[in-house]
Amino acid sequence: MMETFRILAPLAWRNLWRNPRRTVITLIVVSVGLYSILFFAALIEAWADASRDRALNVMTGSGQIHTQGYADDPTIGQVFPQAGGELLAYLEGPEISGWAPRVRVPAVVQSEYRTMPLTLIGVNPTGEKAISIVPDGIVEGAYLSGPDDPTIFLGQSMVDRLKTRLGKRVIILAQNSDGTLAEQSFEVGGIYDGFSEIEDMLGFAGLETVQTLLGAEGQLSEIAYRVTDEARLDQVGHDLGQIIPELDVQSWKDLSPMAAMAEESMGVAVFIWLWVMFILMAFGIINTQLMAVFERVHEFGLLQALGMRPRMILLIVTLESSILVGIGTLMGIAGAVATIQAMSGGLDISFLAEGAAMAGVGQVLYLKLDWGQLIELSIIVWLLSVAVTYWPARKASKFSPVEAMAHVS
Amino acid sequence: MCPEQTPIVSCRGLEKNYRQGTIDVPALQGVDLDIMPGDFATLAGPSGSGKTTLLNMIGGLDLPSAGSVVLDGETLENLNKSQLAQLRLDKIGFVFQAYNLIPVLSAVENIEFVLRLAGTPASERHQRAMESLHEVGLDGLENRRPSHLSGGQQQRVAVARALIGRPAIVLADEPTANLDSKTAQELIDLMAQLNVERGITFLMGTHDARVIARSRRHIEMTDGRITADEIRGS
Ligand SMILES: Nc1ncnc2c1ncn2[C@@H]1O[C@H](COP(=O)(O)OP(=O)(O)OP(=O)(O)O)[C@@H](O)[C@H]1O
Ligand SMILES: [Mg+2]
Repeated sequence: MMETFRILAPLAWRNLWRNPRRTVITLIVVSVGLYSILFFAALIEAWADASRDRALNVMTGSGQIHTQGYADDPTIGQVFPQAGGELLAYLEGPEISGWAPRVRVPAVVQSEYRTMPLTLIGVNPTGEKAISIVPDGIVEGAYLSGPDDPTIFLGQSMVDRLKTRLGKRVIILAQNSDGTLAEQSFEVGGIYDGFSEIEDMLGFAGLETVQTLLGAEGQLSEIAYRVTDEARLDQVGHDLGQIIPELDVQSWKDLSPMAAMAEESMGVAVFIWLWVMFILMAFGIINTQLMAVFERVHEFGLLQALGMRPRMILLIVTLESSILVGIGTLMGIAGAVATIQAMSGGLDISFLAEGAAMAGVGQVLYLKLDWGQLIELSIIVWLLSVAVTYWPARKASKFSPVEAMAHVS
Repeated sequence: MCPEQTPIVSCRGLEKNYRQGTIDVPALQGVDLDIMPGDFATLAGPSGSGKTTLLNMIGGLDLPSAGSVVLDGETLENLNKSQLAQLRLDKIGFVFQAYNLIPVLSAVENIEFVLRLAGTPASERHQRAMESLHEVGLDGLENRRPSHLSGGQQQRVAVARALIGRPAIVLADEPTANLDSKTAQELIDLMAQLNVERGITFLMGTHDARVIARSRRHIEMTDGRITADEIRGS
């Protein structure tokens, strides 16, 4: 086998340079094809990451803790005591990079002009800043200063619809923990913008302020947390389930099924693109390799006359193609790696801003090198390309020596 | 031709029909022929008489429609494609009219190539190839590619390559047809010399009167049959 290779390799290598134009065409077909597959994969992964991060960074975090009944009845009836003891120790531990305690209830907000539904969320500003980008969306006034801050932080669009503004007061009505109606006036202390998905719905106030309003001192409806290492997401969920078996611990995959689905469909998109590109590449490869074979019919006859077995001819043509496709593959990898590296600082897609906003993606994509995926895709493309050259190679091995030698090109 | 000697090639009742569309073209119509060790034989006849076809049958490049070929003890019809290739490698040297050489290999590599196929150790290969180039008078041209050799030089490389595997017989089809008369003469002299000095058996299909003049056995074909077989001594 090794000896066979030693016979064939130099012959194969030199044959590649016999028709440089065709060699170059094949190299371009393979490298550009693979390049586009790899680049597309990186782009789509960056897109998926961006849209997931966006979804998780607004409110969701990596996961959340609620009471078991909260999903069916998200009201002030479904609360649990503020984190303490073992739970607090875990949340402050190395697995968790930030966590935010919340009390959230359906409420009504009233201005002089209008009454609108609202989800009132009592938050601890320090916790929110650790897991959410909403505090960064401030356009007027100030974010909440502490759990006892008496002001309310509203979305721009909500403020517009209420026809109110910074410094004016609004009334919040919500159901109290004992079933009666609680009511309190809040000054609009800050306005945020840029989160169309929540702007019309969420209003933030100090955690303790809201707890007091609802008569739910020391009670929470939600803890959102962010894990230090995304790979340990499931482990963290499992750990928390052990510490607080009476509560419901859900990861973002359960909480935000759209984001999870997007991630999966991106993988499918990469494979669809791979096949589309590969079919185009296959046409190019088969075409050029068949041409190469038909240019050398006489030679294949000669090789057989000299005593080369048909199997070896099959091998030599396959070897030639593998080398050629291999070089093209390496070129495609090099190009893709260079491009991805160059764009790892962020690819500004603000020119797509409207479309991007619709898909819930930020305006900058961060491409990153995923060597595992890169190598996997490259090997798939290389193997498939070598496989399609089997056809021309088989053709070359099937010529009868007499007919082949009669063929003088 | 001593009767007790075993022939190197033995053809019996050899027939070959080529199908062309719906009609069968008979190229060989019952050929019986023995080639003895040490023969320096020419095969002549009008164009289309079946010379090339017969050489191809003997060389195992194509299979007959009927009849048998025994080459150095092997009955060719019993062999598959792969075994035929091995037989050509071990027992036959070919020299064709033109385009004999592998274009991407140099003169010496073309010769070594056959030895590589035969699995000759590397240490021996180059040495032997260089010696055979010397024998055909191509010292100093070993690194040229075929495209940088003259027609005569290419044919000499082909002869050297045909001999390198120590074959039982060298089959040459119109070896001089593409050469000018002086070069053709030199090539014939070379082959005749190899026949005399090393006892190599040659069977050559040819129209070339100079080749025929040098041969020690002359076979004539017409319409796929052998019509004369004359031994002339040397
Ligand atoms: N592949 C083929 N298909 C059909 N007919 C063929 C084929 N090869 C040879 N023939 C026919 O077989 C006959 C013998 O041909 P062959 O080539 O053996 O003659 P030849 O004596 O070598 O002629 P030349 O002197 O022209 O080389 C001819 O009639 C030829 O047309
Ligand atoms: Mg002929």
